[in-house]
Amino acid sequence: MDVYILAIESSCDETSMAIVKNGKEIIGLSIATQIDTHALYGGVVPEIASRMHTEAITLVLEDVLKKAKMKIEDMQAIAVTYAPGLTGSLMVGIEAAKTLALIYHKPLIAVNHLIGHIFANNIEDKMEYPMISLIVSGGHTELLIMEDDYTFKKLGETLDDAIGECYDKVARVVGLKYPGGPNVEKLAKEGKHTYNLPQPVLDDTYNFSYSGLKSAIINLVHNETQRGREINKADLARSFQDVAIDELVRKVDKAFRETNIKRLVVAGGVSANNYLKEEMQKLCDKYGAKLLIPRLLYCTDNAAMIGAAAYPLYLKGEFADFSLNASSNGDLC
Amino acid sequence: MYTLYIDSHFNNLVIALLKDGKIKEEKIIESGKHSEIIINLIKEVLEDNKLEVADLKEIIVINGPGSFTGVRIGVVIAKIMGYTKNILLKPISFLQAASLDYDKNITLGIEDRNGVFIGSFNQEHELVGDYKYLNNKEKDSYKEKIVIVENKIKIEKVWEFLKDKPPINPHELTPLYVKKIEVQNG
Repeated sequence: MDVYILAIESSCDETSMAIVKNGKEIIGLSIATQIDTHALYGGVVPEIASRMHTEAITLVLEDVLKKAKMKIEDMQAIAVTYAPGLTGSLMVGIEAAKTLALIYHKPLIAVNHLIGHIFANNIEDKMEYPMISLIVSGGHTELLIMEDDYTFKKLGETLDDAIGECYDKVARVVGLKYPGGPNVEKLAKEGKHTYNLPQPVLDDTYNFSYSGLKSAIINLVHNETQRGREINKADLARSFQDVAIDELVRKVDKAFRETNIKRLVVAGGVSANNYLKEEMQKLCDKYGAKLLIPRLLYCTDNAAMIGAAAYPLYLKGEFADFSLNASSNGDLC
Repeated sequence: MYTLYIDSHFNNLVIALLKDGKIKEEKIIESGKHSEIIINLIKEVLEDNKLEVADLKEIIVINGPGSFTGVRIGVVIAKIMGYTKNILLKPISFLQAASLDYDKNITLGIEDRNGVFIGSFNQEHELVGDYKYLNNKEKDSYKEKIVIVENKIKIEKVWEFLKDKPPINPHELTPLYVKKIEVQNG
């Protein structure tokens, strides 16, 4: 029997719902983004995000049902992102999902947003195990081995800041608009690697560190400004990006070398970065490995990936109850 | 005709079921997280009375002011129920609901840590002017007498008051925050 799941995502600044068939096929997808509003403030304002989710929630539901030409009665389950993210925002999606599950007597599935990003790869491709998994987003930088749909073994993670956070900070200090990541990447294309920035952790673990790089950039901009020298923003963006991505390359290279696994999945908002994609492709070519990165639409926050990640939980019968609550922490293992 | 009453705007969580304007069941929870309790509470009330959500004719929801998150929980539930099952939505502010206890012009308030939400009502219980939030300093020098609401809301009176009022479209139901967000000040 085909399994249709209505999935809801509201962890940050997009209200999204999707109807996903058998964890793979998107029957309908609706995304209401708040990006223009938060851009006015230079970053996501949590209370504004929660308010906008509340205003959008039934409109997005109406839109996804219309696009899918389906009814909620046709669903086998309701899935929702419960962590990690902004708790006030997550809560809007969670209460909506629980209410729908109550009204229609459908099982409720709680999905981790990061696992959703990984499962975005199942929509247009097929994940096979074991697989090296690199999660890169505004809140996470983690390297894992996935042995099965929901079996994770952590190799390493950031000891301080996440790479996406670092991108946003660099965007701020050089005066680029929110969202910072894509704007830094765009600028980096025009620049040369001229600034000497410190390499993050040079140890032999799988851990990452981005706070040193972040501080170095803040100091550099500060010092140059004090000396009355102008920063070449494009060169700085390029120098930063080279170092930041190189850190990921070195650790993934080590993982390929030591595990002998021939598959790599890259997930999370930063996986939209083209330079990262190119570097990971080179690395996969070197080891004869297969690279999975979802296309741009599924790199950013969306409910389709939540529906994809909910599917194996549906098959296993792992359902949440009505006491489900939001959590800002979404550790995978 | 069944009405569900939802009030999650502050510390106490109140869920009630009315039949033809008379309370059939009322549950009040004074501790714990609203978000973790509320759906089970609604489920219990419905099951006790052998009802489905679809059997409800209308929902009265306290849409604020109060805890932003608390208010949102009740409002989101009402919006989803109203939208999916065509249940009539009748929001009312906590202060207006409280004003039904008074048959005179009155300014009512509810306090939080940093100040007080206020609203003035006439004898017909209609709002005069706008809702306001006064910080503790502004509160002490406010020109009118503020009566802090301490009594329990009389849910049947609220039903009676809203009986002939038109319902609101689920897409348009929003919380009554009153307070602005810090970044929007000035």
